[in-house]
Amino acid sequence: MNTSLASKVPAQEAHPHLTRGHWLWRSTSWRWSLLIEKRSVQVNTALTLILLACALSSLAFGTLSIAIPDVILALQGKGTAMHTFVIEELRGPRLLAGALAGASFALAGCLMQTLARNRLATPGIIGIDNAATAFAVASVVGVGISAAPHTMALVGAAVATALAFGLAGATGTRGYRFIIAGLAIGAVSGAITQVMLSSVALDDANAAYPWTVGSLNARAPAAVNALIIGLIVGYTLSLFLNRALATLQLPEPVTASLGTRSGRVRVAGLILSVLLTGLAVSVAGPVGLIALLGPELARTISRPGSIPLTASALSGAILMVLSDLAGRLVFSPLEIPVGIVTALAGSPYLLWILLHKSPDINR
Amino acid sequence: MKAYRNYVATWIMLLLACLASLLFGAGTLELGQAFAVLTGQGTENAQFIVMELRLPRLVIGVATGLALGIAGALLQTLTRNPLAEPGLLGVSAGSAFAVSLAILFGASTATLTTLISQAGALAGCSLVIAATRIQGVGQDPVRLVLAGATLTGLLLSLSSLLMLIDQRAADEIRFWITGSIAGKSWDQLTATMPSLLLAGAIVVGVARPLASLALGERVAMGLGHKPGRIRLMVILAVALLVGGATALAGPLVFVGLVVPFVARSLAGADIRKTLWLCLPIGPAIIIAADTLSRLLVAPSEMPLGVITAVIGAPVLMGIIRTRRIPAL
Repeated sequence: MNTSLASKVPAQEAHPHLTRGHWLWRSTSWRWSLLIEKRSVQVNTALTLILLACALSSLAFGTLSIAIPDVILALQGKGTAMHTFVIEELRGPRLLAGALAGASFALAGCLMQTLARNRLATPGIIGIDNAATAFAVASVVGVGISAAPHTMALVGAAVATALAFGLAGATGTRGYRFIIAGLAIGAVSGAITQVMLSSVALDDANAAYPWTVGSLNARAPAAVNALIIGLIVGYTLSLFLNRALATLQLPEPVTASLGTRSGRVRVAGLILSVLLTGLAVSVAGPVGLIALLGPELARTISRPGSIPLTASALSGAILMVLSDLAGRLVFSPLEIPVGIVTALAGSPYLLWILLHKSPDINR
Repeated sequence: MKAYRNYVATWIMLLLACLASLLFGAGTLELGQAFAVLTGQGTENAQFIVMELRLPRLVIGVATGLALGIAGALLQTLTRNPLAEPGLLGVSAGSAFAVSLAILFGASTATLTTLISQAGALAGCSLVIAATRIQGVGQDPVRLVLAGATLTGLLLSLSSLLMLIDQRAADEIRFWITGSIAGKSWDQLTATMPSLLLAGAIVVGVARPLASLALGERVAMGLGHKPGRIRLMVILAVALLVGGATALAGPLVFVGLVVPFVARSLAGADIRKTLWLCLPIGPAIIIAADTLSRLLVAPSEMPLGVITAVIGAPVLMGIIRTRRIPAL
């Protein structure tokens, strides 16, 4: 069997117009080739490095500041007992939860924006976050339901999406009815959350409160584990969808003639998006603006017209870790929930998009 | 003849809602007893229930409903946007944030809260009108509503920030921010009344010019009105009304959407007819919702804001589904 694989073919020789800005790897003996986009490799490497830097600072700074070399020592298991405790018990799990939740939110946002071809169509804006929170709070407050909060959050996310579709008249995800329907659902769910909080004892309400605005304080280990599995599965599946999603950006007849079953792709993308959002909400609460800001950042630095799923997830993780760090440091020792930090930083940007930019993601 | 029937029907509905509001709730009351109290007789128990519990609540409900309904109708006509509602556009959130600030700094006198609330509403309302002047946004109802929702979110998270700073204030703000007209006293009403009356006077003055402005800026100018001045008066009236209502009942979303919607579908496009119909419909909806809020989970109460949100959300969907809203 011939094992000499993957000789590099100069790009210009093969298809100059197709392979510009790509690395083309082609097997000489097998019918196999790989086209790698240079820009996305560069962008994703840069984002990964930034994420690592943010993670290190998140481990280092807080009410007790630890020098970066000490952080690295502690990570290797050679630090002092104090440092090891702070990093392994307090900041490490929090960092993990934040990065995972941020990545999930942003990936879900990128999927939904791509499906709707509209940068405003993120799970947060169409009320999925609020509904998931309402359901999760219901299970915390204990309205006779014994299911775990993260299961309930998933149920809530699914119910909200189904409702939004039903109310919008189920005419695809493109219509603005969908967004307004989501807005209405979000308002009702928010009201219901408020009712549940105001009907329980004051201490319980104050304890549950940070989580309803988005915080990494109240993460349950079970929910984080569910999120890890969900993110791995969701990310893999969304990569499989990537090509079909790209063809969805073309006019409907072209999409059909390219062999994409647009209905199926939409449903699959939507289910993934709902799943990722529900799991992320169960860990971090409704930090919906990450789903808008992460993909937005990724699109700015990626190749125009591409669907930057990986870059979105990385940007979301970076934004989440940074917001959490800012929330811990700015008014230290008082801690601002990450949801409030992102709302304060992200809302003005969202307003700017709404008032000045076209909502179409390709413009 | 048909218009006349509409007025009669809506006023009868308001009367029925008021009766229900007097009769139902914690503490039983017969119809005869309630009337006896209103004519100055009646047992001590019935006296207490009607005069201390039910009547203030009823009157405050009427004031809130009037204010929010009229404010919604004005704002929708001015922005020519059927979705322009003080709660959705962030006017209520502006006044809610101002009140949260005041509560944090220890404000308690009713007058102070009203003024602060109205100042916040004025800021919110000015922002909204400024946003509609931006090219492309004014013609696009949905975009304006989304911008309003974002502004609301921003202000709510600022309020949340305040709640984190002070736990005592947090409890007070949390109760108030869901919206309720329970447990309010006559003092609060008398503190808000002058500004609501002032707003009413402005509305009476501005209704005719506004009706001509609805035909277009040039038509209004041709008829001898000044669009800039009309806009300013409307903003002022909306701020006074919404600020007053928010000070009384907390931020109630969707009332300013539902009331003018019902009124318009009965009366047609003329703002003056719509305003006349808003007079009975606004209070009727608030009072019916408040009575429901007492009955649904008796013996405890559901916040009024929840009921109005549950009633209003389907109406919002109805408007979206029936009207051709231009693409964003």
